[in-house]
This record gives sequence, structure tokens and C-alpha cells, in this order.
Amino acid sequence: MIEITDLKRLYHMGNVEVRALDGVTLNIEKGEFLGIMGASGSGKTTLLHLLGLLDAPTSGRIMIDGLDVLSLTDYEKTMFRLYKLGYVFQDYALVPDLTMMENVALPAMLRKDRSEEQVKNDSFWILQRIGLCDRRDHLPRELSGGQQQRVSIARAMVNRPDILFADEPCANLDSENSKMVLELFHEINEEMKQTIIMVSHEDWHKEYFHRIVRLKDGKVTSDGKNHSAH
Amino acid sequence: MGKKELKVAFLLALRSLQRGSRSSVLLTIIIVAMCFTNMVFLPGLFNGIGEGIITQVVDYEVGNVLVSPKTGEQYVTDLDATLDLINSMPGVERATPHLSKGATLKYRQRMLGVSVKAIKPGDEKYVSPLYSKMVAGSYLGEDDTGEVIIGKPVAGDATIKQEDEFQPSLGGVRVGDSITIEYANGYTKDYRVKGIYYAGWSSTDNNVIITWSDMEQVEGKTLDYAEFITVKAKPGYEEKFIKDELQQYGISEYVQTTGDLLKKVMGSVMQSFAIINLVSLVVGIIITTVVLFIVITIKTINSRKQIGILRAIGVDKEVIMHTYGLQVVIMAVLGIFFGVILTAILAVYLAAHPIVTPEWKAYLFLTPMDYLVNSLILFLASVVAGYVPAWQVSREDIQTAMRA
Repeated sequence: MIEITDLKRLYHMGNVEVRALDGVTLNIEKGEFLGIMGASGSGKTTLLHLLGLLDAPTSGRIMIDGLDVLSLTDYEKTMFRLYKLGYVFQDYALVPDLTMMENVALPAMLRKDRSEEQVKNDSFWILQRIGLCDRRDHLPRELSGGQQQRVSIARAMVNRPDILFADEPCANLDSENSKMVLELFHEINEEMKQTIIMVSHEDWHKEYFHRIVRLKDGKVTSDGKNHSAH
Repeated sequence: MGKKELKVAFLLALRSLQRGSRSSVLLTIIIVAMCFTNMVFLPGLFNGIGEGIITQVVDYEVGNVLVSPKTGEQYVTDLDATLDLINSMPGVERATPHLSKGATLKYRQRMLGVSVKAIKPGDEKYVSPLYSKMVAGSYLGEDDTGEVIIGKPVAGDATIKQEDEFQPSLGGVRVGDSITIEYANGYTKDYRVKGIYYAGWSSTDNNVIITWSDMEQVEGKTLDYAEFITVKAKPGYEEKFIKDELQQYGISEYVQTTGDLLKKVMGSVMQSFAIINLVSLVVGIIITTVVLFIVITIKTINSRKQIGILRAIGVDKEVIMHTYGLQVVIMAVLGIFFGVILTAILAVYLAAHPIVTPEWKAYLFLTPMDYLVNSLILFLASVVAGYVPAWQVSREDIQTAMRA
């Protein structure tokens, strides 16, 4: 489903060239819960941003469902993100002036194939699914970090994306909330066969991943099934 | 950009204004309202001064059309025939003659040089509202002799010492008092003050007015001449029509409309007002544009990360641009609305309490077109000021924005 070929991303910091990704080649199957792990600076987030079309590689190719996504125009990439991809950020990244319901509904409201009624129903359903329906009229600042991250997941899921990206979603959470979020990802993956690509540097998270790709200095150092996964 | 995108942009804009910094929103709206007031107040006041002067010139100086002596002549002659001819013309409400003589007023120890004007009180009522401006006593009757009406500044105030007076006066003449008028030709007569008026128009308020019969006594003959004739048009008749008609009917005197006279007298004044109005308008627009530009620039800079996130989840940059642009539109509309209310209140207040100077009085003269044009100009300036930073930030690279 996702074919990544010799992906490179170079940064120039003054005269110094930094190889954030240095020839990554991967295939990711539909329905996988893939963990990208590695130390800080290993290139995990860079890879996620390239796959999520938030950044452009220096060279290489990304094919999603047979489509060369790097050849898309800026507007087409935006629409691709809206219709096909979901994103969960480390710091929740909810719009502070919108209620939980409005935050969740926001991406769905922009879809041309959804009626107002559908947007409302989908948002309600997903909030119910994450157990925060009763907090739908609250603003982000009125909720705990764990609750906000669950809403962020709901927002990413409301459009039923083909691929869900999560960039260290538990980095700002305590272990209890982290576990709750990971359980939610696990359930979404199990119940909806949702492809999830998650970046993490916490070793204990690996028990949730079907497959783990380890990066070091922008290169894949290991890639294998996790037989001890949930 | 479709309806859905616009709806999302509007929702984001509205929520940002509702749930963001209310003090900053309120302050911006107040600034726009103040800028609007600044843009319309000064021009409105100048227009008010201009309108006030025109009204007073029409009411107290020339009526709608002024008939004055031919070049090289001192008086309009053959007065009765001329008046009969003018009064018989269609569109003429009434024509009335004026004749002024220099004189010295004497009252107790005070002496004052003034212009004594003779009028025909009955006809004058049709041309000038002076009869309604009496602050004490009553207006002259057609056949009154030995009686005068005088302007309030001429009568003076008994409570003010002579050395403290703004302008020389008779020091507190009251109705019923007797004053002596010594004319330039040596004729002297005591008159009873029948009334004191105040028109708020300097050249009228500094006059002493007597009847035509009294002036005939001063001149020692029947007066068949006048300094000038003022003509009042009937409602619905234009000054130009009356002027043309007078000339066609053979009035050989010099005929001018109020417009002709004002063009000569007020032309340069109006030009100066127009320049000041333009400067005031430009300054107002620049202030508003800069303030809104700064407000939205700060807002977008503070929201760069959020803008990056929104783009990451699939919100198009057009939607983001309109989110910030619409915030300015909403604030500008509210600011203009409050500006209109504020200036309307000021206009009502100044209509009831005009700015009064010894020379003229002024109020705020604003037409619906003034409100509309200024609102549109300010609105367009606001849109530019809001959309430029919004456009800039919406074009920013997602990675750069998210790292902000």
C-alpha cells in the first residue's frame, strides 16, 4: 500500500549538511500498526512528515495506493491529506477557540462528500467512541492532556482516513494516559483495520506495534514483525 | 473556494473573535470606530460651517437672488416700479429693498459707530427670518416711526464692564430705552428701542434696523432708490431660474444668485476646507490600515504553529487566509457601525447645540452619501490591511509554520 524508495532528506545548516534521512526504503501494508522507533535525531519525525506530505524529500519516491504523491500540486497534497490521511501530534494541536465537537468536526466539514448531518453524526459517534461525548461542548483548555489527545485522535479519525500518523502522541502524557491512548490506537487498528504509523522513542510502546522499524542516523537499522504484540 | 470552505473560514474567524482575546477585539473595534469618526467629523463640521454660512447669507444678506446697482452707479433706482416688476414674476415670493447709512449711536455715556439699515418690515418677513430672532421686545411694524430694533451685541450687557467687552456696545440697552442716532448727514433723532434680536450672523447682529419711513425722514425725501434688493424664491423654484427671468423681464441692474456670490466669497475657503478634508481622510485611512495590519500580523505570527497544524490536517491555505481576513472584515464592520452611531449622536448633539462663534455657528452636516462613501473607503482599507498579512502567513511552508 505504501512504497517508500530510497528516500533522502538533507538539511543545510550554514555550511553543514545534515542527512536527516539517508536512503530509506520500506513497504507498509494496509492495516498494519507500524512503530517507527529510534533515538532522538534518528529521523523518525522527518520520515513521518514526508509520508504525511508535510515536507518534501530531497530525493526518493513515495507511492501510496499506486499514486506518486510527491508529484501532486500543493492543493492536491492538501486534499490528499484531508481525504486520505489523519494526523495526531505530540502536543494535541487542537484549535483552542473551538469546542471538542467543533475540533473533531473541522476536517469533516471541509469534505465535499459529507452533508452537515453526516458531519454531525460522525463527530458525535467518534466522540462517543473515545468516551468524551459528554465533554463535547468544552474547550480544549478545560480538558486534561490525555482527554485532549483522545480528541486529537478523534479529529484524525473523523474522515476515516486510509492512514493514521501519530507523532509521539504520548510524549506529553503520564504513563496512565499514555496507556489509554495506546489502547485506543490498538482498538482502532483492530476494529477498523486502520493503518497506523506511529513514531515513538519509548521502548514499552513496542508491545502495541505489529511491526517495528528502527532508525539510526537516518537509516533503517532493523525492520521486523513484533511477535509479542497485543 | 466553495461554500463549505467559506463556512469553515467564517466559523474559525468567529470563534477566534468570540473566544480569543476579547480586549484586543474590543480595542480594535473602538479604533476603527474612532478612525471612522475622525474621517467624517472634520469634513462634516466644515460642511456644517459652509452650510451654516450659506443659510445665513440667504437668510440675512441676499435671499436667493440679489439685485444690486449697475456698475458705476450707487443705487438701484426707480425702486417702486422695479419692486412691482420683480414681485409680479412667477417664482418670486417677495422682493424687498435695503438701504444702509453710517451713524453714531449714543446711549448714556456710550457712543458707538454702526450701520443703520432701513427695511420694509412687512416684506422683509417673507425674505428673512429675522423677525423670529427677537430675544427681547418685538419686531418692527410696517408703519413704525421713532422705533428701532438692535442686535444683541450692539445692545451690550450691563453686567460686563466696558474694558472687558469682546466688542464695543452700548453697555446694556433694554427694550423701551431711548437711544440717539446721529447720521453722517447731520440728522439726529431719538429712537425708542422696540426689540433686541440675535441671529448668530455677525454682520446682521451688529446692525441697527429702522423702518423705510424713518429712513425717508433721515434723507428728507421719499426714497425711490435702494442699495440693493433681496429676492426670495418660492419653494421649488431655482435661483438660476429667477435670475434668468429677472434679466429676461428687463431688470437692467446687476443680478446675482446666492450661488454666484458664494462662489466669489467662499470659493477659496471651500477649497481650503476640501484640502483639509482630504488630509483628514488620508490620515484616517492610514491609521486604520496600519492598526489593522499590525493587529492581524501579530495575530498571525502568534498563530503560526496553529496555522501549520491546520494545513497539516487538510485545511487549504485559502481557508486560512479567509479565516484571518474575515476577522478583520467582522471587526471593521462592527467598528464602522459604531462609528456611524457615534457620529450620528454627535450630529444630533451639535444640531441642538451648534458651535457658536461671533461670526457664524456650525453643526455637523453629513448626508447618507457621506456615511456610505466613508464606510466603503474604510471597509476597503480594512480588507487590504487584514488580507495582506493573512495572505502572507497562509503561504508559509507547513514545516516552518509548525516549528514556530
